[in-house]
Amino acid sequence: MVIDIRRCIACHACTVACKAEMAVPLEVNATWMKIVEKGAFPDVRRFWLPRLCNNCTDAICARNCPTKATYKREDGIVMVDQHRCIGCKYCIASCPYDVRYINPLKNIVQKCYFCSHRVDAGLLPACVETCPTRAMVFGDTNDSKSEISQLLASNATVVLKKEMQTDPQVFYISADEAAMSSIEERINYYTETAFIKLRI
Amino acid sequence: MEHGDVNVVYSVEHQLPLIMYIGQYFFFTGLSAGSFVISVIATLLGRKEFKPIGKITAILAPALLIIAPLNLILDLEQPLRFWHLFLYYNWASPITYGSFLLTAYPIMGIIYAVMVFTNRQKAAKVFGILGIPLAISVHGYTGFILALAKARSLWNTAAMPTIFIVSAMISGIGLVVIISAIRYRWFDKKANAEQKEQDKKVILQLAQIMAYVIMMDLFLVLSDILVLLTAHSDAYEAGLLILSGNFAFLFVGVEIILGSFLPILLVLGPKSRKSLTAAVVASILVNIGVYAMRFVMVIGGQTPPLS
Repeated sequence: MVIDIRRCIACHACTVACKAEMAVPLEVNATWMKIVEKGAFPDVRRFWLPRLCNNCTDAICARNCPTKATYKREDGIVMVDQHRCIGCKYCIASCPYDVRYINPLKNIVQKCYFCSHRVDAGLLPACVETCPTRAMVFGDTNDSKSEISQLLASNATVVLKKEMQTDPQVFYISADEAAMSSIEERINYYTETAFIKLRI
Repeated sequence: MEHGDVNVVYSVEHQLPLIMYIGQYFFFTGLSAGSFVISVIATLLGRKEFKPIGKITAILAPALLIIAPLNLILDLEQPLRFWHLFLYYNWASPITYGSFLLTAYPIMGIIYAVMVFTNRQKAAKVFGILGIPLAISVHGYTGFILALAKARSLWNTAAMPTIFIVSAMISGIGLVVIISAIRYRWFDKKANAEQKEQDKKVILQLAQIMAYVIMMDLFLVLSDILVLLTAHSDAYEAGLLILSGNFAFLFVGVEIILGSFLPILLVLGPKSRKSLTAAVVASILVNIGVYAMRFVMVIGGQTPPLS
């Protein structure tokens, strides 16, 4: 998938479409919009980044899953078998992108599967279908005639956390470094909330 | 650009996946592995004065290892599906090594304990030696669980399995000191004065070994922190988090000062080195420190945001 931030207007339609299509419960998100503000008044601007599972080629989650509940389909989509998952949450701990969550209703781990059921039926993923500015492009990167291959060939693209050696399959055009980075002066703020996030 | 110029307006953060059940599991397997190693050393040396310690630890090791995996099963979102671990194993995952080690090791421990209690010295030695690699890997693999969860920079270091093994030794010896001191004080009335004196000497010796292992642990922690602070930016943030962030009290205060320096002073200090009370206090402190270390590692490691 290619996401062209030049076209994206941060309308959150992808988030809503994902919630509706995949029946994602409250409190968790498979797709969301990260928004940051850079600079100080009056030189200030917002940057944003639609976030979803990268369906990595070398997925750490699939390697670390002890029951092979997380596996790769032949077309590269990383799936979670909901009948096999035991909920050990090791995949969540090892994912560098924080895209996996525990479904609080089913008590198993879920994430974005590029709407594999729609792809199988020849449709586009719900977020791509919904995107009003056509910022999201989905397709077969091995097919050199597809729209996505031509976009990748003619644009400078970046991926999230390349240093993790996961070969992510979500490519961003014109994404800002501040929105892609997870490092900010947030340590103390987040350690306060960490104790709240503990579900004891 | 300075970090302070960026504010996150909106982002989604998911729950901490691993909670303190995992830390407690690490703590109990550590205690078990540590006491098993002590037990086998006592059996191998075969000296009479080590016998009581060999017996206590032979019981402790499998008993603690029956408590430990309960934490793991409680932590699962689907506890009744735990058998999937054995049916659908994945050799690339450290949890799979763990599920088999956690089955093999208590069995070996129980066989060993039976041999020790029925006084079959030769068999006990053989099973003890066979069990040591199991005991070490049953705790070493927990270090690999953290180290191979690549996303978290506090965990992803090659030192992690060694740190876990060494801290397991520390807490294991600590527990043995506490329990042998209880036995010495209240449950050993039949022994004569000479035996009592010898028991005390053995306990103090154990406490001294503990102090030296703590020094080794301090060195490992120091090298881990130094490398974290000079590696890539995520690792630097993780290092700052435990040195000066909200985990500083637990890491520097409880783990390093209360759980490492104070026990070393108590055990090796010129005034308190002959005192059994000092050794017991040191052992309790050490166990508090190791528990804090598990907390800092498990919860602290997951605290820095990833998205």
